Amino acid sequence: MNDGSLENRKEHEKSQKQSKSSKFRRKSDDFALAIRKVAVAQVCESVGFQSFQHSALETLSDIIVRYIYSIGKTASLNANLAGRAEANVFDVIQGLEELGSGLGFAGSSDVDRCVANSGIVRDIVHYVGHVDDIPFAYDVPRFPVVKEWKGMGSFWEKGEEPLGEHIPSWLPAFPDPETYATRSSAGNEMMSVSNGEKTELARVERKVEQSLLNLQQRFAHNGNEGGSSRDGGDNGRARKASLSNPYLAAPLLFGEKEVEVSPVLLPAKLLNEVALRNHVPENCVVGNHVSLLETFAPAIEAIKSGLCNSDNEQKKVLYNQRPLVHFKIGIGKKSLGMAPDFNSSKKDPGKIASWFGNDNEKDDQKRRAEKILKESRESSQERAQL
Amino acid sequence: MNHNQQSGDAKNDDDSALSDFLASLMDYTPAIPDELVEHYLAKSGFQCPDVRLIRLVAVATQKFVAEVASDALQHCKARQAAVIKDKREKQQKDKHLILTMDDLSKSLLEYGVNVQHQDYFADDPSTGRDPASREE
Repeated sequence: MNDGSLENRKEHEKSQKQSKSSKFRRKSDDFALAIRKVAVAQVCESVGFQSFQHSALETLSDIIVRYIYSIGKTASLNANLAGRAEANVFDVIQGLEELGSGLGFAGSSDVDRCVANSGIVRDIVHYVGHVDDIPFAYDVPRFPVVKEWKGMGSFWEKGEEPLGEHIPSWLPAFPDPETYATRSSAGNEMMSVSNGEKTELARVERKVEQSLLNLQQRFAHNGNEGGSSRDGGDNGRARKASLSNPYLAAPLLFGEKEVEVSPVLLPAKLLNEVALRNHVPENCVVGNHVSLLETFAPAIEAIKSGLCNSDNEQKKVLYNQRPLVHFKIGIGKKSLGMAPDFNSSKKDPGKIASWFGNDNEKDDQKRRAEKILKESRESSQERAQL
Repeated sequence: MNHNQQSGDAKNDDDSALSDFLASLMDYTPAIPDELVEHYLAKSGFQCPDVRLIRLVAVATQKFVAEVASDALQHCKARQAAVIKDKREKQQKDKHLILTMDDLSKSLLEYGVNVQHQDYFADDPSTGRDPASREE
């Protein structure tokens, strides 16, 4: 039952749309639609009906419109056949005869019949004489309302001289040059009446460039996600961007050091690494956390392995800190556990020291505790879902 | 000669009758407003500055509607009379005259306009047929 009603509704909608799209029921014709319904209702009331079905009223109003339409078409056709542009009373009567030929009228079979004396006219005269005058219920204004079109003045009207002899003066004049000049200053955003396509495109482009630059600068400052290396703007801006964005930096030659690290060897390995790591976030700000992991991975390995040569380590770390996109995910359990923390740019040196200082037992214990906590959380979530 | 004169007089009479009629149209206000008729005539390509012609078309349309409506009224009354015949108890039958789609379609059919609604729609030509005669 439900399916049937749905289908009926769809069909009803479709039929409504179809009927509305018919020539005499367009949306633009709503006013005429309403008026003709009133007119038909008034005539039917004079005949003797007291009420109507909606569909019947609409059908009848539709039919009278088609009737009028066919009279007009036939009459204009007859006028054109006679070589005239405007229709005559005889054209109209001939059209009426054509329409009435289905039912027949008096004198239709006469060969020599005169149009003026046709049975149709006599019928109409008879009708007019007998029926009472039924004035229309409402005051109908002239419709459809024609908007006055203020066209652009011609050359002649504007008093301008057309450029070139090939342009006649009765054509509309060209727009003012100010309206389509594109290379005006950036602050001149106010365009007058007409906008050429070029000006709009240029404006759009400028807007896009501005927004992109803002984005870039924002990324450079935050250093969270991978910066988009787009070419937008001046060299100065690009240089700034390249300073903050490692992907835009010029490639390092052999032996060059990206980071100016003081060669002073600090007593503790850890402090060295801390200093390096403090430098690293400032320079590789726009690296993703995977690359930062990469930078720290060798350090972690170095701590574990217990290498003493800090210079080599520095070099190693330096070269490994070059922002190459490795995409090696999953170095080790330790790094995964600490991965979300790497995103914050400002780190306490003490904190970092604590991560890498107590590497052995305490960390293991901590990680086990974290694991247990995680597992308990997951299990509680599962229970909640269930 | 006489015949010609007579026909000439007849023509004059006809013409005068027509012109008189058109003049009288200006006194009579048809139920269908002039603006509406003018709008649809303009849509069809009918071009005429004369108001009398528009009135003529309006009157003709009104006559057409009146004829269709009166035919539908007769159908409606006939149906009500048939019902009253069966049930003589209810003498005061519903005298409310309603223009229904049914009556309208019957009266329009005489004028060559087909607006009949299907009673039902079937998806198969053999629907409703005797099962014995149905081809399997």
